[in-house]
Amino acid sequence: MLLEMIQTTEYETRLSRKELDQFLFRVAAGETEALSLLYHYSRVAVYATALSVLKNAHNAQDVTQDTFVRVWESAAQYRSQGSPMAWILTIARNLALTKLRQGKRQAELDEERWDAIPAEVPNITVEDRRLIQEALSGLSDEERRIVLLHAVSGLKHREIAELLKLPLATVLSKYHRALKKLRMFMKGDDAL
Amino acid sequence: MTNQELEQRLAGALSRTAPDDLEGVLSRCAEQKGDVISVTRKKKYPVMRNLVAACLTVALVGGGMIYQQAYAVTSIVSLDVNPSIELKVNKRECVLVCEALNAEAEAVLADMNGGADLEGTKLNVAVNAIVGTLMRNGYLDSISSAILISVEDGDQTRAVRLQQELTAEVDTVLLAQASEAAVFSQTVKKDVALEKQAKENRISTGKASLITQITERNHELTFEKLSALSVEELKDLLEAGAPGMPIGREAAVSAAKQYAGVSGLSSVQWEVDAELDDVPACYEVDLYISGMELEYAVDAYSSKVIRGTPVTISKNSSGAFPDSIGTNGEKLIGEDAALDAAVADFCARYPDLRSKDITNHCVELDMDDGKVRYDVKFYLNGYEVDYDIDAKSGCVLEWDADHEGLVAETKIAANGDVGRAKAMQIALAHAGLTESQTTRLQIEKDKGNRRMVYEIEFKEGKTEYEYIIDAATGVVLEHEKDRDD
Repeated sequence: MLLEMIQTTEYETRLSRKELDQFLFRVAAGETEALSLLYHYSRVAVYATALSVLKNAHNAQDVTQDTFVRVWESAAQYRSQGSPMAWILTIARNLALTKLRQGKRQAELDEERWDAIPAEVPNITVEDRRLIQEALSGLSDEERRIVLLHAVSGLKHREIAELLKLPLATVLSKYHRALKKLRMFMKGDDAL
Repeated sequence: MTNQELEQRLAGALSRTAPDDLEGVLSRCAEQKGDVISVTRKKKYPVMRNLVAACLTVALVGGGMIYQQAYAVTSIVSLDVNPSIELKVNKRECVLVCEALNAEAEAVLADMNGGADLEGTKLNVAVNAIVGTLMRNGYLDSISSAILISVEDGDQTRAVRLQQELTAEVDTVLLAQASEAAVFSQTVKKDVALEKQAKENRISTGKASLITQITERNHELTFEKLSALSVEELKDLLEAGAPGMPIGREAAVSAAKQYAGVSGLSSVQWEVDAELDDVPACYEVDLYISGMELEYAVDAYSSKVIRGTPVTISKNSSGAFPDSIGTNGEKLIGEDAALDAAVADFCARYPDLRSKDITNHCVELDMDDGKVRYDVKFYLNGYEVDYDIDAKSGCVLEWDADHEGLVAETKIAANGDVGRAKAMQIALAHAGLTESQTTRLQIEKDKGNRRMVYEIEFKEGKTEYEYIIDAATGVVLEHEKDRDD
């Protein structure tokens, strides 16, 4: 019942930092129920982070699972400073970067393309496809990362700047530029 | 569509395509839970004892052979970015010689006594140090950067092992620095002719081997010219099928500067990034002039500028800043007019203020997204004011102001907390609004990086405001304003 409620309200209510902190402490204590709750609250943000680095839905799904396993292993090292979501997303980003390097070494050139639609989601709506495949493909890598993080993780711009190791001013200007581009694309879409 | 609506649509679409496999996660966690290995200090001692025993055994049994083994080269490891560095290693994987193969490598190794400081160290330690130095020197800091690790060893098994270990070592260093550079590695067989060719062109045999793969694809490309390219360029060129000879970074910068009309300016700085696997293949060149950033893309084979704004720049009387920039030598309004426009606009918003009371100001020319603007900052009656003024029309593009008075008034909060009401008042005053004008007003007290803060959000019409206020002093630490078009 609780999980059902969480799933339906996932994007209407974001967890406060304090609540996320508590979940992480409980995960550190070995509570799988806390890990389940954490998964349902943050899986989309973790997936978006991985996808923004890897540009490939299939690999991003793998990294999403790896991230939560790593959170389970490392939660005891978590210290309540700053943003717990940023801590989780740093793990996701580092795992994605490692996978990206492995992929490059194996010369998987297809990974260079923005490929955001997983094969096993057959009934995706035209609108969703237009938005996350076609509209996002028009953004630069960094713009896409910033917009995705802001849209789904609840991180503030300064936290995104810290996570991506970019100046805040760069994050803000790229964010606004990216939204402008997306809006232009969607306007064109609506006009069709 | 507002920013918030657009983000909600994005988040919704992603939530419908994101994996939802909690069972998979839990089953992997359960597996690990069953295999927990308890690491205690006690375990280390037998290992140490074994190591000591092993060392003693080697020392006693090896006898006189050790001296010979210590100075015999068994492996040659090269690291190529554009600096090319070669390490000659003995059987015990200690560095015998560390050599800079080109001028860029000499600069990188300068603070390691030209590489001599690394001699006698373990190979992995030396590689770690070199990669760290490469990063400090600005190499390997973009996602399109690449490093090539090549291992030449008569013992192929050892070559493969070293290749794997060094790749992992470099990966670790890059990961720790959040670098997204790619790591390529290869084992190379001894080839006297290739060694000679590499030496003549001051590159490693590893890089020479990569170049040979390219010349095999396109016989018109010459080894000598390709030697000047970085690993990143060579890797992209190989992946693109080696269609031609790229112009190189220097030529790309030169083409961009000429197109921008700034070839004669000595103060121009630049960054260049090769994107040879893009279609069309190009060099992305950023030019920095008087704090202004100009972006260009130069076709990698024809030198033609394919993206960017041509500009003409002339200097003002003081020679400090350009005062003219545009496609047809269009005149800009100038710094004084930009300041006047900003002050006039601000005083119109706050009728009690007088422009003559300005105490300090600063104006800089900037180019963002192809639009030339003046960044204007001035101080007036306790306000710190920032304006962006269109450099051609003089129109106000954006503005923002902080008020010191509000901060001073609240700095001496007796209990170290200005309180929610005061924090809200500071945010609203900063935004120039009253509470009744706003909607969706939210305030939350939270722990920031080093202090307690109030996070405040509200909307006024289609404009969204976000503030972070220091709970102890009431200082506005950060603020954002999104305007929906």
